[in-house]
Amino acid sequence: MTSVIRCEGLTKRYRGVTALDGLDLDVGPGQVFGFLGPNGAGKTTTLRILLGLVTPTAGRAWVNGRPAGDPDGLAGVGAMIEEPAFYPWLTGRRNLEVLALSGPPLPGPAGQIGRVLAAAGLGAAADRKVKGYSQGMRQRLGLAAALMRDPSLLLLDEPANGMDPAGIAEFRTLLRSLAGRGITVFLSSHLLAEVEQICDQVAVLRSGRLVEQGPVAGLATARARVRVVLDPADHRAALALLAPWAARPDGPDAVLVDWTDGQAVTRALGQGGVWPHQVVLDRPALEEAFLTMIEDTAAVNDATASR
Amino acid sequence: MRLLHAELAKLARPLSLGVAAAAALFCLLLAAGGSHNAVLAAQGAPRHLPSCAAEQVPAGPQCSRWQAAARARLRQIQAEPAQVSGQLAPAAAGAEAAGLIASLPGALAIALLAGAHIGGEWSGRTMKSLLTQHGRRWQVLVAKLVSLWLAGIGLIAACWAALALAGPVLARLSHLPGPDQTVAHGLSLSGSQVARALLVLAVFAVIGLLAAVITRGAVGTIAATAGAILAMLAVAALPGAGRWTPATWVASWMGFPAGLGSVTALPANFWSRFIGTGAPPGQVAGFAGLAGLVVAGLAVAERIFRRADISG
Repeated sequence: MTSVIRCEGLTKRYRGVTALDGLDLDVGPGQVFGFLGPNGAGKTTTLRILLGLVTPTAGRAWVNGRPAGDPDGLAGVGAMIEEPAFYPWLTGRRNLEVLALSGPPLPGPAGQIGRVLAAAGLGAAADRKVKGYSQGMRQRLGLAAALMRDPSLLLLDEPANGMDPAGIAEFRTLLRSLAGRGITVFLSSHLLAEVEQICDQVAVLRSGRLVEQGPVAGLATARARVRVVLDPADHRAALALLAPWAARPDGPDAVLVDWTDGQAVTRALGQGGVWPHQVVLDRPALEEAFLTMIEDTAAVNDATASR
Repeated sequence: MRLLHAELAKLARPLSLGVAAAAALFCLLLAAGGSHNAVLAAQGAPRHLPSCAAEQVPAGPQCSRWQAAARARLRQIQAEPAQVSGQLAPAAAGAEAAGLIASLPGALAIALLAGAHIGGEWSGRTMKSLLTQHGRRWQVLVAKLVSLWLAGIGLIAACWAALALAGPVLARLSHLPGPDQTVAHGLSLSGSQVARALLVLAVFAVIGLLAAVITRGAVGTIAATAGAILAMLAVAALPGAGRWTPATWVASWMGFPAGLGSVTALPANFWSRFIGTGAPPGQVAGFAGLAGLVVAGLAVAERIFRRADISG
């Protein structure tokens, strides 16, 4: 499978501060790829390197088989980095016309700008000056600008910021339809619930390092656990019996166990004379999985540092 | 050409129109003041030279020298109404406009435009959008430079148009004599000065471009460009140091009168009055120096911008 995005040991340091630390990444075509991480994890720096806006301190990256930043490679890339910025004295349509003039001619028949404005939900506001746009409208205009050249790869950085719930739902449908047409969408976001609904694959970044990469479903399942609901009087005994599986209290009448085999948990409790009310396989949301992963990594890093 | 078209489209903004209107108004006010000054000076000039004794100048060679100088000054004052009338004639007003814009007022206007048009791409965080559309950074720089240079030419056009429209009216209101030159001569004078101003505007534009890639912001670009221009004039004003500076190259290339010789009823420039008198480097040296500045400035700007991180 040809990679649409490939990073090898990508590192970026700003005046001694490491923003990205040896990132290796491989993104295949025709999927929606989620790029997750807390603020300062290095997500935007990665996107900027892929677009040639920032030069890496070390490592290499390729986009559509060409070195990152190669002007010919950029022709097939649509991008929206952070909050999109436009020329406020121009209308939305004129902004896109100016951006279109700044690069190679637009593909397809005439009227491409009108079509992408309509697709982004800005058809009615296209001839208003951008200085009067709300943040959500600017996001939509940014999306229209990114789609204007019929790209094979879309790089989107927090694209749903400022959008209303209806806009986010439309946006989700749009991204899925783009992926259905074979366009690769590389989506950096902190809205984990959104990522969970849109993305096929996810990579998690923390402190400039890749923590985990895999299918969204697999990532959440890997963190599945069993939740045991029992009589408060049995709480302490249950924690002791389930200690080998890193059991922890979840309120006065429940215990969480990092194990996916409910039968084994029930058996262990029964052998100790504790009979639970419920044993439920609990599949946490991606958000929780993501936070757990980050905490785990932080703990490992702290332990390494203290040695 | 597509990129230049895009840059020119961005320049169609209220600020550019405001700067052009301000340039036109400045030229108009200067013309009105110049007409008034010329008439007042001519009316106030003595009809006959006072004697050396009356001015307490010793007789002999010193008196002769004083009389010669006073006679020349009187002739200049008496000729000023006709001279100003000639400067304000529609065909010749291009020379006046070129001189004003290729000097300090134009430099400051270009500093403002450079800040908004080039530095503003960083301040407004639009540089990332621009470079995402067009990854060849040197082409972006050249398009920025050329569009800024064209905006400078637009300022000359605005000033010329204002003078051409208002000049004859001002001349009539001030009762100035009719211009003593033909339209063809006026056009030739304007053509020559405007052509020379093109190189000076390119120097101002390159300084603005360089300031933008170094400071990466609108305010920094305006301050650095204006500061660089003022520093050029300050260095040229230093006794003995002004022989070969960019400011003297501008004065030589434009043919500006040296030192206070440029202070007349209607000044043809706001540049050489700040430069000490002395042997100018000459037009060829001026041209070579200015052309070298443009090439070197563009090369340095490209070198800085080529690998600069766009992080805003």
